[in-house]
This record gives sequence, structure tokens and C-alpha cells, in this order.
Amino acid sequence: MTDLPVADFLSALLGSGLLLAVPLLLAALGEAFAERAGLLNLGIEGMMLGGAFAGFAVALETGRIAAGVAAGAALGVALGSGFGLLTIWLRVDQVLTGLAITILGSGLTGFLYRDLYGGQNRPLPTTAARLDLPVLTDVPVVGRALFGQPLLVYLAWAAVPIAALVLGRTRFGLAVRAVGEAPFAADAAGIGVAQTRFAAILIGGAAAGLGGAFLAVVDVRTFTDNMTLGQGFLALALTMLGRWRPWRILAGALLFGMLRSLETGLPILGMDVRPEFVGMLPYLGLLAALVVLARRAAMPAALGVPYERGRR
Amino acid sequence: MSGAAARLAPVLSSLAAIAGALLVGGLFLEARGKDAVGGYRLMVERGLGSSFGLTEIAIKAAPLLLVGAGLLIALKAGVWNIGVDGQFLIGALAAGVVAPGLSGTLPNAAVLLLAALGGAVGGLAWATIPALLRVRFGLNEIITTLVMTSVAINLSAWLVKGPLKDPDVVPPQTRLLAKAERVPDIPGTEVHAGLIAGLVAVAGVAVLFGATVPGFRLWVLGQNPRAARHAGMDVGRLTAGALLASGALAGLAGANDVLGVRGLFQANWNPGYGLAGFALVYLARLRPLVVIPVAFFFSFLLLGGDLMSRARDVPTQFVEVLEGLMLVFFAVAVALERGRWPHRRRSAAVEGSPGPLPAQASGEAA
Repeated sequence: MTDLPVADFLSALLGSGLLLAVPLLLAALGEAFAERAGLLNLGIEGMMLGGAFAGFAVALETGRIAAGVAAGAALGVALGSGFGLLTIWLRVDQVLTGLAITILGSGLTGFLYRDLYGGQNRPLPTTAARLDLPVLTDVPVVGRALFGQPLLVYLAWAAVPIAALVLGRTRFGLAVRAVGEAPFAADAAGIGVAQTRFAAILIGGAAAGLGGAFLAVVDVRTFTDNMTLGQGFLALALTMLGRWRPWRILAGALLFGMLRSLETGLPILGMDVRPEFVGMLPYLGLLAALVVLARRAAMPAALGVPYERGRR
Repeated sequence: MSGAAARLAPVLSSLAAIAGALLVGGLFLEARGKDAVGGYRLMVERGLGSSFGLTEIAIKAAPLLLVGAGLLIALKAGVWNIGVDGQFLIGALAAGVVAPGLSGTLPNAAVLLLAALGGAVGGLAWATIPALLRVRFGLNEIITTLVMTSVAINLSAWLVKGPLKDPDVVPPQTRLLAKAERVPDIPGTEVHAGLIAGLVAVAGVAVLFGATVPGFRLWVLGQNPRAARHAGMDVGRLTAGALLASGALAGLAGANDVLGVRGLFQANWNPGYGLAGFALVYLARLRPLVVIPVAFFFSFLLLGGDLMSRARDVPTQFVEVLEGLMLVFFAVAVALERGRWPHRRRSAAVEGSPGPLPAQASGEAA
């Protein structure tokens, strides 16, 4: 059976690729809401790191994965409301605010990790429960990878149609898109611009915190300094690549997760490549994809512009 | 309101932001059971009260000045170069390869100049890709410069672990430059000459925007891209130029650290000047000459963070916490300033922020 490694390779690629895609998918879906509402959140990176650390700390103290995940999402909501207060209420520059949150997230998590846990590699004692779908897991090659994942993975997948439905077919989704495209018209039509944007950034913050918590608590099962490694920024790029549409964002996140899992997958095929070289490829692929798919993408017209009634 | 008060307001906002950050940061330290007052005293006594401290501050200021000069050009022109870290790394790697490669073949001064040039070209090359993507395809440079940084982190690590590694040593690094091969000290000090390059760069940016036509064009672009276009300016070229200049200076900062301080480029080394540079340039209200004292202040903080981590068991990330707090307080201060003096709204926006997001401009640049 000389072709066995290929099956192993595909299975590993799919299995770890799906896990790697989840934090990106969650963060990018949340950012789609924020950007559709006119808010560019460069703080995602800091929110993800915060969610990762809060999730890790709570899961470690309580021994409960679910508590950690909830804590990550809650911290994301808190940071999101901070972003909202500064950019919507005080009309502070969004890029400035986002970068401030990212610096704070990186600094505070690194500080507390060292201070509380001595900077040691502390693995979580518990593993997230896997939801094995009977029969389906027995499908060769893809079975285990697709249908033997932690519960949160399925929830992340389920978030895609929900996000598409909410953005595309509900009154709230319409309001989000309206305040991002034409806030003055939306205001005149009786839509609360500030409230809608605030709701959108809370969704974005929760999703980013959840993504970070997933990374630390479910996937890696520990915390390390700056463990998000720019994934928050990557989520921004994926949001743009997917043109703020949930299904396209899912496609981008999956593709990117697979490309990143090549790092672990290629050695299975006996290929001797340096991880850094493989690590570079997804980003180059992303740039190429942006050129092909997102050039001259029509951004939400009011993206990055603070709204002030009566001041056009 | 009198003219003097109007001029003082921005200064007071920045000072208030710094004071607020130090205060809240100190309370945070106390809450974590650390001696904040003792720590701050240590920062001042060892940092400002010893020749060791002053020398270190001067050395650490050089890369901040170079990065700050580059960010000034980009942000004043309304171009968001968030990829300073990538340009820095590629510049540092280029300098770390060129200097040992040429050493012995030319006089040392020439080697250093060529290596510094290599660093600048490296940073510039790295900024060329986002510049092209922006001008040719309308891709937002916020995203592309960030992605390019991720590429640079991997690329530089790969190169220095593989093709560009010094074969004579085990750790992945370029060949170590001997002390005599590095940037010489400014006579009478132990501060290497990179500081002069940093000061000249910031002064050059001040002249660029204060007294030249290209600088004026960049400024107009930053204020109002539409007006720039209607006035017949080549917006694409100006945008690309600002990004390239910014990248070249970031690359030069990388060369500064390799040629003046470390003597080599190592895998997985990334001081992350990009975010610090942002905080510093904003606190200086995008004014070139104000960047100089703020850069020295940030350098003082960096040294203070080292001192506190060694003597007081305060994690070095405390400096990042302070930088983040400063940005938040600065943002709030600018907002309050705007609210209190409504008739100064327009100029407050001018000094505090580099104008609208390129997203709006890019559609029209098409």
C-alpha cells in the first residue's frame, strides 16, 4: 500500500485545516457585520488575543471548556463596546482606536500571562468534547476530519448561514447595510445610526473574542505570547476578499486553513520543506486572490467615516 | 479663545494622554502587587540620572526616529502604511547580508553606507507591492501592508534559516559583524551614528512638508484626495511615493539596528516598531519636529521597561500597555478638544488624523 500516505495526508490536511479555519471564519464573519455598518476594526487582533487569554485563564481555573469559551466571547463584547464608545460616540478615528486596542491586547495578555502563570507553557487539563457523528465518521479519508470535530466547529459552520440570513434578510441586516452605505439617508428614514453600528461592533467583538478563545481553548489548548500571529489582521483581509458576504468568507477561510495546514501536512508526504517557506505561501496566495477577486471591490460607502447628524 | 490657548490645546492633550497612561498603568501595576512608584522612580533615576541611561535612550531613539519619519510621510499624505514591521525586517535582513558580504572588499565606511542603502532598498521594495496593488488595482493598503508583514516574517525567517544563514555557527543568523565593522560612535559619546540619520530623516520630513512643492502636494492629498485630483495632481504617483518613502525609512531603521546595535540578523527577531511608531507619531500630532522629543520619550519608556523587568519583576509588555493606554487617552483627549472648541473642529481633525480612509479615494482613483 504505497499510496497510503496520500490518504493520511489528505485526512491531516482536512482535519487541521478545518480547525485552523475556525478562528478566522468567526472573526471575519463578525468583521463583516462591523464593516457593513461602516466600522473598520483594526482591533480584531487585540480582541482575539484578549479572547484567547480570557478563555485560557477561565478554562484553566474552572476546568470547564465552555466557561472559557464564554469568557472569551464576553471579553470580546467588552472590547467591542470600548471600540464603539470611542469611534461612534466620541467619533475618534477608527484606525487609531483599532491599533490602540491591538497594542493593549498584546501588552496586557503578555503581561498577565507572565505575571499570573510565569510565562510557562501551561496546557489545559481538559479537552473539548468532540461530537462524533455516527456512521459519517466512518467514511474513509474525510469522515473523521469532517464529522469528528469539536462542537464549536459545527457552531462556527452554522454561523455562516445565520450571518447570511441576518445580513441579507432581516430588518436588522438591512439597517446594518444602510448605516454603512448611506448613514444620512438611514437616519432620515428613522434608523438609529449609532445604535445599529454599536450592535454591529458588539457582534464583531464577540465573534473575534470567540475566535481567539477557540484558538487557545479548543485548538491549541494553551496560551502563548501573541499566539494569534496576525490572524486578526488576516480576518480583515478575508472579509475584504469575501466582499462582506458570509458564504464567500467561509470559502476564503477554508482555503486559507487548508493552505496553512500544508505546514504539517507536507512532511507526511515525505516532502522536506521548511515550515517558514510553506508558511509564506498562504499569504502570497491571499494577495493574488485579492487582486483577482477583490480589486476595485465596492466597499461600504461610509466605511471608516464617523457619523454626525447634520454634518455632511 | 485666544490664539495662544488654541496653540497650547494640542500639546496639553498629548501631555494629558501621557500622564493618564502613566497613572492608570501605575494603578494597574499596584493592583498586580508591584511597586509602581518604585518602578517609575527607577526609570527616572537609572534612565535619566546615569550616563548609561542617557546613552541607551539615545541609541534606542534612532530606529524610532527613522520609523516615525516614514510614518509621518505616509500618514500626512493619508496613506495608511500599517506594514512597517515587514519593511523593517526585510531592510534589516538586507543590511545583515550586504555588510558581511562586502566587508574587506571596500573601506568600512563604504561597506556600511552600501549596507544601509541595501536596507532602505529592501524596505522600499517591500512597500512597492502594496503601492502597486493600491494604484493599479485599487486594493486598500491597510490590508495589503498587513499581509505583506506576515509574508516578511516568514520569508526572512526562511531565508536566514536556509539560504542566507551563516554556515559557521549553529543558530540561524547572518554573520556577526565585529565591533570595528559596525556603525562608529558619534565622537565623544558611546552612541552610534544612526541617531544622526534618524534626526536628519525627521528634519528632512519637516523641510519636505514645510518648504517644498512635493510636500505640499502630499499634504493636499492627505487633506482631500478629491481636491488633489481636481488640481491636476497625479494622485497615484503621490500615493505610491508616500508609501515607498515610508517603506525605505522603515528599512533603514532595520539596517540601523543590525549595523549599529546587534551586528547580525536573527530568525524570529521582530521588535515591532510599527505599532509603537503609530502611537508616537499620533501623540506628536503628525508634526515632524514634535516627533523628535516624543521619540526620545518612547525610547525612555523602552529602556524603563527593560530596567523594571530586570529589577522589579515587571514583564516588559508593560511598555506596550502604556503605549496602548496613551493612544486611548489621546483619542479621548482629541475628542474632548473638538467638543470644547467647536470652531476649531476643522483644524483639530487636521492635526489629529490623516484624513479619510483610502477606501473612499480608491474608487475614484480607478
